[in-house]
Amino acid sequence: MLFPTLTFGLFFLLVFAVTWGAAGSNEWRKILLLLASWVFYGAWDWRFVALLIGSAWLNWGAARLITAQREDAAGVRKAILVVGVAANLLVLGFFKYYGFFLEQLQPLLAAAGLARDLPLLQVVLPVGISFFTFQGISYLADVHGGRLEPAELLDVTLLMSFFPHLVAGPIVRGSDLLPQFARTPRLTRDMATMGLVLIVWGLFKKAVIASELSTGLVDPVFFDPAAHGRLDLAAAAYGYAVQIYCDFSAYSDMAIGIAALLGYRFPLNFDQPYRAVSLQDFWRRWHISLSSWLRDYLYIGALGGNRHGFARQCANLLATMLLGGLWHGAKWTFVIWGGLHGGVLALERIWDRYRPEGWPRLPRVAGLLVTFHVVLIGWIFFRAESFGQATAFLGTFAAGGPASAVLTPLALVLILFGLAIHFAPPDLGQRTAVALRGLSAPVLGLGLGAAILVVDAMRFEGVAPFIYYQF
Amino acid sequence: MPRETPSPIDLPGPARLGTGGLGWTAGVLATATLVLAATNAVAIQGWLNEQPPGPVQAWAAGVADEWAGFTDRIGLARPRAALHSGWKRAEAARFGGEDAPQR
Repeated sequence: MLFPTLTFGLFFLLVFAVTWGAAGSNEWRKILLLLASWVFYGAWDWRFVALLIGSAWLNWGAARLITAQREDAAGVRKAILVVGVAANLLVLGFFKYYGFFLEQLQPLLAAAGLARDLPLLQVVLPVGISFFTFQGISYLADVHGGRLEPAELLDVTLLMSFFPHLVAGPIVRGSDLLPQFARTPRLTRDMATMGLVLIVWGLFKKAVIASELSTGLVDPVFFDPAAHGRLDLAAAAYGYAVQIYCDFSAYSDMAIGIAALLGYRFPLNFDQPYRAVSLQDFWRRWHISLSSWLRDYLYIGALGGNRHGFARQCANLLATMLLGGLWHGAKWTFVIWGGLHGGVLALERIWDRYRPEGWPRLPRVAGLLVTFHVVLIGWIFFRAESFGQATAFLGTFAAGGPASAVLTPLALVLILFGLAIHFAPPDLGQRTAVALRGLSAPVLGLGLGAAILVVDAMRFEGVAPFIYYQF
Repeated sequence: MPRETPSPIDLPGPARLGTGGLGWTAGVLATATLVLAATNAVAIQGWLNEQPPGPVQAWAAGVADEWAGFTDRIGLARPRAALHSGWKRAEAARFGGEDAPQR
């Protein structure tokens, strides 16, 4: 069930009516939201609803076990945490990486003279498993660290199943959402107006910009880079940078907006990432809920951050981004993408530390352009189906391929628009909501209907799944 | 959620916490739904035609066909049709002035 479809629209209207109708009892409201979330998830594959429930119960149980131990039994508490995290990773590892690791293992065994027929399985990847697994791990770590009280079974299950963030984030932590589940939510005009602004804006970015660029430009060029000239290759690279931003930030915007209409506040997930002046700055603006998760639980929590010296800090950065790359999928192209980001992040730290005195800092505009193009090269590996396709893309660009004409005026306008929105006032959405919140319901409803009509008239036929669904 | 975690939901200035947010939102959603049902009947028609065939689907698709025809006759479907054809022209435009075949 994709957000920008009529099916989801009708589903949401029903959920809105039923859950607010049950607002007299917060417990019933949460039960209804949980059932709705399972229906939403079951629309992909009912079998995986059991996995989702099992995963939530595992984390609820492990957290209860941690807090049931005596204060001085730190070793036991830590052991339960490790087992709980390992169980989460085992589930993720089986569904996401089993085939990948066996494929890598097979030639290694053959090279060592130990060739075996390994039990390769066609494992179906449950949608959103990377998101809800990370959510479960952070819940356990927060309870273990004393940052969060263990929650009731219903609340933990809803935390991990709540449909707005379930399949593609944001990764909403227990510390953000569980306190909200504890009290009956209220819907204010502020929340509703901003939620509607985010939903319409997300709908436009996904259904118009991302879909149009994907089908008209990016997909044909990446499918066969050797058949395209430099202009189309460059346009496809810039086009993909805009497409992935408009696709993924659209999902986040709509998720935040939908949650707001149900009375819940989700965190910011994107903050005009292409205006970043360094890669460190980029990761403070791109997929913020993932980058802050990796920072808090992996880079600092598991690897020690900068506590063991500068060399170790740089190695930790690289390791974090390599694993962050692998989180996106079991492909070497994602590992290379993560390695590129980790390597440049480490280089930035080294440059900050060892820059000769008196050397000027890079001007902001130059920093922005360099950062954007590092990100752009990373996206080529991220988008390519294989390492070979990425190198073919870059090789054809360097050598110059045949002249072609995939780039259209519309695609060019959309690319420029997608980049220009990064330089609009950061609070433009909020300002719009402030201007709209005073309108009467019929007037705003008329405007909302008209805005959705415009988007629907412009959208490409059909809706491709969000890019981040595959993660 | 801790207030130190920023959210786009937070509007600047004093919050409007007055009562009636739910009723007002329900009114907005109801109006928008009616506007879309009146001006975008082809979307309902297309969606119903994509549903698994059966007696209910056939009946609903028939009603949607009649509704789409009605909105078309009285001109409610015209804005969407005009926007859509304009967008298709923009999609078909190519550098050099030659239009590509419609996708």
